[in-house]
Order: sequence, then structure tokens, then C-alpha cells
Amino acid sequence: MIHATECLLRLYEENPELEQYQASIPRWCTGCGDNAILAAVQRLCRDEKLRPEKTVFVSGIGCSSRFPHYMKTYGFHGIHGRALPIAEGVKMARPDLHVFVATGDGDCCSIGAAHWIHGIRYNMNMTVLLHDNQIYGLTKMQASPTSPKGLRSNTTPRGAYLEPLNPLSVTLGVQNASFVAQVVDWIPEVLYDVIKAAFHHRGLSFVRIIQRCPEWLPNLFEPWLNDPQRILLLNHERGIRVSANLGKVYKNQQAHDPLDIDGARKIASVADPIPVGILYRNPDVPCYEDLRHAGQLRTPELVRSGLEAELDRFTVWPQEEGKRARPAA
Amino acid sequence: MHADHQAQIAFHLTGKRPDEGLDAVEPLRLRPALFTRYADLPRLRYDFPLVLVRGGDDTTFVQSLAAIVDKALNDAAPQGTENERLRKHVLRLEREIRSMAAAGATGSLSEMWNEAAHRLGSAADELLEDSVSRAGAALKIDGEVADCAPDMPARLLAHGWRRIRERKTRNFHDIARRLILKLANILRADYVHSQAGQSAGSLKAAIGKAHGDVFDFDIMSGLLAKTARNDSLPASRRRRIEWMLSVLESQRFFPAVDGHAQGRDTVQPYAFEFDNCAAALDAFRERQPKMIELAKALAIGELETEGHYLESKHNLFFEEFGENALGADDLALFPDYLVCVRAGRMHAEGHAELMSLLATGLPVKIMLQCDDILQESLGSSARLDCGMPSTRLASMATGLNDVYVLQSGASHLVQLAPWILRGLAYAGPALFSVYSGAVPAVNGIAPYLVSAAAVESRAFPVFVYDPSAGPDWASRFALDANPQPERDCPTYALDFEGEEHQRLSEQLAFTFADFAACDPRHARHLARVPRAKWNGNMLPAAECIARDAQGMSEDVPFLLMADGDHRLHRVIVDDKLMLEARRCAKMWRSIQELGGVHNSHAEKLLARERKAWEEKRGAEAAAPAAPLPAAAAPAPAPVESAPEPQSDEAHIETPRCTSCDECTQINNAMFAYDANKQAYIANIEAGTYRQLVEAAESCQVSIIHPGKPRNPNEPGIDELLKRAEPFL
Repeated sequence: MIHATECLLRLYEENPELEQYQASIPRWCTGCGDNAILAAVQRLCRDEKLRPEKTVFVSGIGCSSRFPHYMKTYGFHGIHGRALPIAEGVKMARPDLHVFVATGDGDCCSIGAAHWIHGIRYNMNMTVLLHDNQIYGLTKMQASPTSPKGLRSNTTPRGAYLEPLNPLSVTLGVQNASFVAQVVDWIPEVLYDVIKAAFHHRGLSFVRIIQRCPEWLPNLFEPWLNDPQRILLLNHERGIRVSANLGKVYKNQQAHDPLDIDGARKIASVADPIPVGILYRNPDVPCYEDLRHAGQLRTPELVRSGLEAELDRFTVWPQEEGKRARPAA
Repeated sequence: MHADHQAQIAFHLTGKRPDEGLDAVEPLRLRPALFTRYADLPRLRYDFPLVLVRGGDDTTFVQSLAAIVDKALNDAAPQGTENERLRKHVLRLEREIRSMAAAGATGSLSEMWNEAAHRLGSAADELLEDSVSRAGAALKIDGEVADCAPDMPARLLAHGWRRIRERKTRNFHDIARRLILKLANILRADYVHSQAGQSAGSLKAAIGKAHGDVFDFDIMSGLLAKTARNDSLPASRRRRIEWMLSVLESQRFFPAVDGHAQGRDTVQPYAFEFDNCAAALDAFRERQPKMIELAKALAIGELETEGHYLESKHNLFFEEFGENALGADDLALFPDYLVCVRAGRMHAEGHAELMSLLATGLPVKIMLQCDDILQESLGSSARLDCGMPSTRLASMATGLNDVYVLQSGASHLVQLAPWILRGLAYAGPALFSVYSGAVPAVNGIAPYLVSAAAVESRAFPVFVYDPSAGPDWASRFALDANPQPERDCPTYALDFEGEEHQRLSEQLAFTFADFAACDPRHARHLARVPRAKWNGNMLPAAECIARDAQGMSEDVPFLLMADGDHRLHRVIVDDKLMLEARRCAKMWRSIQELGGVHNSHAEKLLARERKAWEEKRGAEAAAPAAPLPAAAAPAPAPVESAPEPQSDEAHIETPRCTSCDECTQINNAMFAYDANKQAYIANIEAGTYRQLVEAAESCQVSIIHPGKPRNPNEPGIDELLKRAEPFL
């Protein structure tokens, strides 16, 4: 790049305000944990000075999937369970964009489970936020795959029969998983730090955010909210460093190196206390878009040669010289 | 004093050889004794000929024939008796190629390989043919073969320069192709959204012939017109984009690559190879406006395609965009100007031109080739003053501070290949001063040997000055490629047969006098002493130089030289040549200092520190042992604690706020969000104590503390105080 361009870019560097990333006013219920996630993400965009035209939020269906509507960036409100394939397509075509995926426990872990598994395996450079409120909220209270056993809902009036699916264990079991973290919406400091670390990780960063649904499950996380000892903060120099002030409230801490996948799997299987922090991070897993050299400049020559190659598959070549030529029709 | 010794001293002091007692060296065709082992150069596997490798990476852009053959043999015939025949055949072939190159043959390695095989009679020898073809198949690289001939340095440098230029060309086209495509796409997108682009005719043309009749394009055009945008491309932006496209497509600095047309009209690229400094400078000045224009187009293009271009801010800057806007790194995007000049054809004006061109800091790469550094300067009678001042230009150029300088004999260029490439890639001017060794006056000695002798004798030492390597001389200046750089002259063991056929060995230093003795023009400074007249006052020249004696001395310096039959002779040297040798030695010592060898500043500092250390040590030994001071108690770590607000005041633990809107829904004048979208009490007067308590109750994370009521007369205060208790 010509030096002058760099100088000019530095000279007129923009310092956006958080409000500049705010699109329409959220329709989420008052008290919904999605608000905390939105605030943390907008804060990240502001702090990282992400250009709106270089940022895309992709979602599926559900309360959480209204996320792109509230971000003044590019957005794609997709179809149920298909947020990841759409995001992968965006990343493949435009690897220069910052891609975020907002998905819910129903969207990701139920109808989109297949895409979730393969999305982890493809390890494309994007940040996936799993808004896990353990209920289908938009359709007014049906059990999701992460609903606790015994939860009474419209679809499980006698209580859910099965143990809930553990999104962390599943993700950590998939080949090529490179970043797995868990946070709760009611500790904004850690929420922001983890999302920031996820954004900076090169590869697919999967962040499960346990969030409250004040409308349908107002008391589900009450015990954890009231007792900080039931939150296990993961503290490590390669993960999240717990600040002094936060440490005064959340004293239950564990040193965990995010490079240790066995330790991560062990922590992931614990439901109470809720582990919060980065469980696993491996920056050496290759990204699919790098392996496939995505983002190649589509020059007319490249397009033409691709078309020619495709057409050549159906071309009948004249016989080579020296061999008997096919009689003319 | 013995008469023979008197005659020797007389010759040494005056350079006048008496008729008897001392012989002229010319008829004997003497050479320095250390040359004897290189008598038959083609039989030796040394650095030449070299191959200017086509393709490949930077580490292999030039390789010696011997290295290439070794690699091929390693691949085709690993060590073992079964491959012995192949190895012998291929080494014979290599020798043949070397002889052919020494005789002036040129061509690519594969051509010379086949020619050499033909000469060795491979057509009639199946085994030889088999060896040649197997090893030939293992040759992974090809390129022009170059022996250590007068034109080799320029060819080698031009070869490296072309490699760098190709790299720059690829880099430019990568940038330009991307910009052209993106800029053209901006125009295309505007057209597609325009009225003309959405006309029935355009839409039909976009679909293609096969389905042209299937659609009603008038209706389609009408439909699209309803949703058409009115924000077409501003005229100024369109003009800017079109200007950039025309500049990028019509540029002449880089040739087209991969068969792509240069642009709409094919234009002839500029030439960048020159044979004099003035022409290169003129060409640079003439092309400068075009270069600035292209750099400007690239700079604006980057901003434009990323959507960063702001007319209000950037127009003014780019109106003033001139030569000052281009730094060395920007100029390095463009091809460098290669100038190859011969020192022998230059006069004082040429030298001044060269130095002023280097001083401009422009991206020029100058090859200054000296062919003769033993020629005595005109008009100097007091001393020989060999090769001045062309040989000093490289040293002078280091004084310019930002010029990459490489000095070397042609013989050492292969081992300096990485530094040559580094110099060619350097973002700034570079000077490559090379001594070719091709001195017409020196008959019968290969240029390789002469140039190597110049390096060995320190007459033309190897050094590299790389301004990009660091801020100081220690990182910038390197003498490592010289033989035994820590010594005044390199020393080698000479094995020879004594008078009684016994094996003898002697350590011989190779001095400037030995180097000058190669040249018949300096034969008058030498005289052979017959064996019978050798005496104890004869001292090896290296010792005399090292002694640097002032005034009269009875010692006579001599060199060991060998004749055509490899018989050793002692040759005494006159004072004039010795003076030049001492001058050469002094210059080498100053170069050594720059390279950190025997650096006088460092040695002075070391002596001072050593003295101080010894004094301190002595004082400590004399003083009684003092008791160890008690270990200082560690200072208590400052405790960070934010002042906790008193519970009487209403407050919110803002960092823990989850932005859930509960409080702001109750009273958005009392509760507000900060820059991080977290709640705080903006105005306590804007609401009631009841609202404070309700907000505390509804807060999901219980971070609102209502404190004490400001108005004790508020209705229902007793009940509110009770409700507020859990949150105080």
C-alpha cells in the first residue's frame, strides 16, 4: 500500500460511538438476557472500530435471531437452523468480512444440529453466539434440547423426560473445534471479555451464553443469580483474567489452561456450579476458507477459464494427429 | 656489509637492479608460490562456472556448476560402489564443461551438458551415455552458464535485478488487477442501476440469445424502473474512477504478464537498464510525473475501493500529491534503474556523477566494475597509487549513510549471492563494486585467480554495508566473507620438497606485494635472488609490512615465487612497492575497525574498564569485610479498592448491569445508560423513592441500591423503607 494511503487512513481514523451500531429498538422483553449480549457486542464493535459495511450478523429463527435487526451492519435473518451454512457462504465469498452468528438453543441444537456439527468441523473464522435460554421463547414456551429435565412446558406438560443436551460437550467432541467458551448474561464484564477473545480468535469461536428468559422461565437461574459461589470462574493468562473487583464477588475460581482439551471436557460436563470462561482455545486448527483459498479475485480471466473448463468437460475433441480421424458426419 | 647484501639493499631502496647478482623476474614468468596449487584451474572443482538459474526461489538464483552437479549426483547416484562409474563419468563431464566455459563457450547448462557429452564421445560409449542421461535427468534446474569472465559480474547482477523486477511486476499486477476490477465494478454497478442499464435493450443483452424471446423485457424494465434508485454515481467520483482506470491501464513501468494485454492499447514498457549514470537520472526525471501519477492512482484506488475516500478531506491532499509524497518504500514498488559502468572508462566527472546519483537516494542499482586495480595512476611519481580512485568509490559511498554497498572480487560473487539479491531488493540506492580480475596485462592467469588474489591480499577486500540491517555499524557492516578477516593478511601452509627431497612446510602470508607480483607491469619492482646469494637479512615481505619500520633498515623483504616448473624462488621487493603494500595494509586495518575487528574505541574502552575493575578488586581485597546489610522489608503492596458509596446514597453497580431495560422502563430520566450501555442514576431528582425501590426490586441482578429517601414525607414511606431493606 502506498504510504500516503496509510497516513490518510490514520489521519481520518473514525472513532464510532456505541449508538452508531444500534439499529432499531429491540423488541425483546424487558429483562431479557439478549439485551446484555447486544450491549456487549455493540461495545465490541465500537472498541474494535469495526466498519459496519465490513461486518455481518447472520441468524436463524428465534428470539435471539432478531439480533441482526438491532445491529447497524450488514445482516441476514436466515431460516430456521441454517444460520451457520449462510454464514459459511458469506465467509467463503468474502473472507474479508467480520462474520458473527446469533443463534438460539432451538435453532442451533435442534433443527440446526447437523449444521452446527459441520460448522465446528469447518472451523471458518467467525464468532458464533449461542443464546441459550433453554426454552423456545418466541413461540411461547416449548421445551428445547437444552431445557432441564422435568421442565413443564407446552410440549412437555408432564415435565421434560430427557436430560438436557450439553452444547459444550458436543462442541468439544467435534473434530477441529478451536474455541469453546461459556458465559452467563448476568456477568457483563466476563461476557464482554469472552466475546472479545472469541472475536480475536482465528477460527470458529463458539460461545454458549446462558441467558435468562424473564417471560417464560423467570426463576430458572434464580439460585445461581443469588449465590455467586455457584459460578465457577475459569481464570488463566491464556484465557480470561478475572479482575480484582469481580474476584471479590465471584470467589469460586479455577485455574484452567485453555490449551488443555481434556481439562476442558471435564469442566464442560459440570452443570453446577456453572463454569464461566474460555474452556478451550487452539489457534493452530486450520480454517476451511484458508484451505480452499477463498476470496480469490474473480477476474474476467478466472471466470472465463472456469467456464471453459466446465464446458470442456462436454467437448468432443478431434482425434489426435497420427491416429485415425473420425469420419465426418 | 656483504657485497651481495649491499646490492640487494640498493635495489630495495632505489629499484635499480644491478647487472649482476640479481635477476630480472620477467623472463622467468614467476608467480606467487601459493598459486602453484591452482595451476590447472579447470581440473579443480571451484565456484566457477556458475549457472544463472531460471525460475526457482531466491536461495538458488545463482549456483555454481559444482554444487548443481553434486546435488544431481546425490539424487541420481547416492554413495556406493555401484554408482562409482556414474559419478566418475559425470565429474569428467563437469570438467569438460568447465574447460569449455574457460575457453569462452556460452549457452545454457542443458546445451553445454549435451555438448560436453558429445565431446567425450557419449555417442560411441553406451555406459557414458547412460551416466550422462541419468544424471541429466536429475538436473532439476537450468540456466545460462557463466565463467569468471569480464562480462560475468554485469550478467550476474542483471540476472538478479530481473528477478527482483519480475517480483515487483507480479506484485504490481496483483494490486492493479484487483483495483481495476473493483473500480470497473463500481462503474458497472452504477450502470446496472441506471435508467440505461434497466432499459429493455440492456436487459435483453444481459440474458443472452438463447432465452431472448422468453421474457417480455419491456415489462421487466417497467417493473425495475419502479424500484430504481435515484442515487447515481456523483460525477466527480465517476471522473476520478475513470481517471484511475486510464492511469492503471496505460502505465509503462511494468510489462504485461501471463499474456494479459497491457490495456486497451498495448504500450511499450519503459527500459530500466542503462550504461551510464546521467542517462538513468534523465530517464528517472522524465518519468517522474508519470510515476507520481501512477502512485497517486494506486493510493486513491485503495481508498476508493474500500469506500474510504472522502472528497472533503482527501481532495486537497491529492491535489498537492507530488514527489515529496513518495517515500523510499513507495519508490520500491517501482522497478529500479540498473546502471552498469566500467571504472576503466570513467574519469573524474564520471565518478562525481556516480556519487551524486547515489546521494539523491533514488532507487538506482549501480554496478561499478573495475577491471584493473594494479594500473599505476598517472601523475603520481612518489607512490604507485594503484587503481585510484575507482576502487575507493565503494568506501566513499558508505559515507552517504543510506546507500547499500557491496564490494567484492568477481571470484567471491557466488558466495555473496544472497547479499547481492538483498542489495537489489533494498529500498534505496545500491552500489556493487566488483573487481573482475580480467587485466589484459596479466597474461596466462585466469581472471578468477587474479580477482581472488585481490581479495586475499586485501587490495580489494569484500565488504557489505546494508543500511536496512540496523541502526549501527555493528549490524550494517560485514567483513565476514573475507578470508581470515581478523588477520592483516591471510596465511596458508605451503608444502614443498626440499633440496634433499624432504617434505617441508611453511606458513605463507599473501600480501599486496604478492598480488602485484602477478602483474608484469610491476616486474621492475622485483628482482630474483639466486639461491647462492640468499642471506639472513632477507625477511618475508609480510613481516616487513607488519613491522611498519620507519627509517633505514638492513632487512630486505622478499616473496616466495614459483616458475613454470614449480621451482621456488626468492624475489626481493623494492621500497616503492612495499610502500604501496603498507598503504594497503593500513586501509585494511581501518576497514577492519569499521567491521569491529581490533576496533580502537572498543579496545580503549575495554582497557579502561579492565583497569577500573582491577582497581576495584584491589580495593575490595584490602578493605575489611563489611557486614551484609539487612534485607529490606518488602513494601506492602498497594491495595486497590474503590471507595464504596455510603448506603445512604442511592447508587447502581454499573459494571454489573446487564442492560436489560428494567430500570429505564420505570423512569428513563432517573436511570440512563452510559457509553457502554450500562445503567447509572442520571438524576436522582427526576423520580421518587418509590421508583427507586421498584427498580431495585425488578433489577434481575440486584445491583440497584435505593439508599435512604431524600424526601421523608413521601407517601407510604414506611412501607417503602421496609421493601428497600434487602437492597441497602
